[in-house]
Amino acid sequence: MSDLQTEVTNLIYRESTLLDRRQWDDWIDLYTEDAVYWVPSWANEEETVEDPELQLNLIYLRNRGGLEDRVFRIESRDSYASVPLDRTVHVVGNVLIEDDSGDEIEATANCVVHTYGKKGSLTRGSLYDFTLRRVDDELRISRKKITFVDDRLEGPIDVYHL
Amino acid sequence: MDGGIISNDLSAMVDDRVADGVFRVDRSVYTDPAIFEQELRNIFEKCWVFLCHESQVAKHGDYFWTEIGRQPVYVHRQEDGSLKCFINACSHRAAIMTPYRQGNAKTLTCRFHGWTYKCSGECIGIKNEEEGTDRNHYNLREIARLDSYKGFVFGSLNPDVGSLEDWLGATKPWIDIIAAQSPDGLEVVPGNSTYAIDGNWKLQCENGVDGYHVSTVHRVFAHTISMRESKGEYTGIKKTEAGRIAGNVATGGYDLGNGHMAIWATHTTPEVRPIWEAKERLEKELPPAQVDWILNRGRNLYIFPNLLLMDNPSTQIRLMKPVSTDRVDVTVYCIAPKGESKTARAGRLRKFEDFYLTAGMATSDDIAALEDTHEGSLAREAKWSEFHRGIDCFTKGADEGAKALGFEPAASSDNWDHEVLFHGFYRNWLKYMNGETA
Repeated sequence: MSDLQTEVTNLIYRESTLLDRRQWDDWIDLYTEDAVYWVPSWANEEETVEDPELQLNLIYLRNRGGLEDRVFRIESRDSYASVPLDRTVHVVGNVLIEDDSGDEIEATANCVVHTYGKKGSLTRGSLYDFTLRRVDDELRISRKKITFVDDRLEGPIDVYHL
Repeated sequence: MDGGIISNDLSAMVDDRVADGVFRVDRSVYTDPAIFEQELRNIFEKCWVFLCHESQVAKHGDYFWTEIGRQPVYVHRQEDGSLKCFINACSHRAAIMTPYRQGNAKTLTCRFHGWTYKCSGECIGIKNEEEGTDRNHYNLREIARLDSYKGFVFGSLNPDVGSLEDWLGATKPWIDIIAAQSPDGLEVVPGNSTYAIDGNWKLQCENGVDGYHVSTVHRVFAHTISMRESKGEYTGIKKTEAGRIAGNVATGGYDLGNGHMAIWATHTTPEVRPIWEAKERLEKELPPAQVDWILNRGRNLYIFPNLLLMDNPSTQIRLMKPVSTDRVDVTVYCIAPKGESKTARAGRLRKFEDFYLTAGMATSDDIAALEDTHEGSLAREAKWSEFHRGIDCFTKGADEGAKALGFEPAASSDNWDHEVLFHGFYRNWLKYMNGETA
């Protein structure tokens, strides 16, 4: 395995581990200040929306402040949907570097998230599209698109379910 | 009743003694499967129900598959521009006719045995047809009634239901001031979300026009937005209505008759609403009272039994589909004025995503609260849900705001904490359940 492949894979593993272990601040630190976090909605049974600005998304955060909102909400202990917090286990695989020719690295991965909460066990899948950038020698996430394959959603969906 | 279902007299479910300061509903209305079946028969299959917005079936051949109660139907745009709505089942052996929830097809061919129908429902092809077959006998079954109001399409399985306009009654001026927001009409923005709620459908109806929960359930939303704004960054989303959520502004609620309900709250910062850019045109074209209601009041309108229309910092169609006594599927769409600027459209969508989705920061909390309400209702030992707030201080008929906009509610409340609007909901629910037709 190349050094870059290891580095990219470790970053993606690290993100999932921090979410499952509820280390929210460390999780946010993996993102650049201008990071875009995008979960498109399904336009129909076969395609998601393609233009996040002018079409409806499940989540579309245009910088890291949006992720900070989510952490604030979780940590407030005042969100009905987030008390008690669901337990999650992310299993990430299929990490592939798609393009490392420019300043940023494009990578894809798959993720299965097992959730346990009020509704019992739920297992859901996502396709990840990452853009990664080197900041002070460390790889950071500058864009993450999550194609959440479920359409009819069971229960609340927050950043730790994805 | 047809279908062998006996209609039970449910009068004991609603303890309606307003003069004594009492209005209570037996919690088994949320949990009893027999009541749910009676609701499908006497409400969803007898009243008008919302089907879709006409922009979702804009062109010849466009179809939209939805449900009336639990019965699948689809709306289909005809060659002459009119709409028809059919039971979504092949005349032969009942397979669903539409491959997608929404699509375009000038003819539909059943994917099971290959029977083909025109857009008009006429059966035009039977695979390996036998001699002497009368195809007309197998035309698709149209639903009894279909009509639309200002682009909102409704249908009924009941041939004897009254006119749609009479049914909508006092809600019409509320729909008018949504429809009037663009000279080119409204459109449903691409993308949508469906979520399943483990709770009775009526709890979702209540929640959509329950002002009282806002300052508890959505307190965290208001705090989150304040935190965001204190950092001086809106991430492209200008201020949301923190004042409205904190409960510091004028509010109100209406029992709009026929089971319809609405709440409103004054906007503290109306200039951040996407519609603000149309202010000048609205002021030129519409009476001042309409403009005031459009620009300065956030509004949630519930149209019995399956539709919520929200016109707040963002705008929403919320369609409810009852699945069982303890489950309702909800689909949400962003509806917006055609031709608005890209900035306004993006702002509208970001506010929608912030608040309204099960992946958002408010609707998710609503769902959790109403699922808990459903679960608590299983405690039959404690029988009654209380709807008495505001019972001794409402206005019979129209208050000043209603007179200004021109609608005649059954009752007006000057505080959205009040629960008087639910009296109308449950009185009409009981009336329909006991066999009176809309």
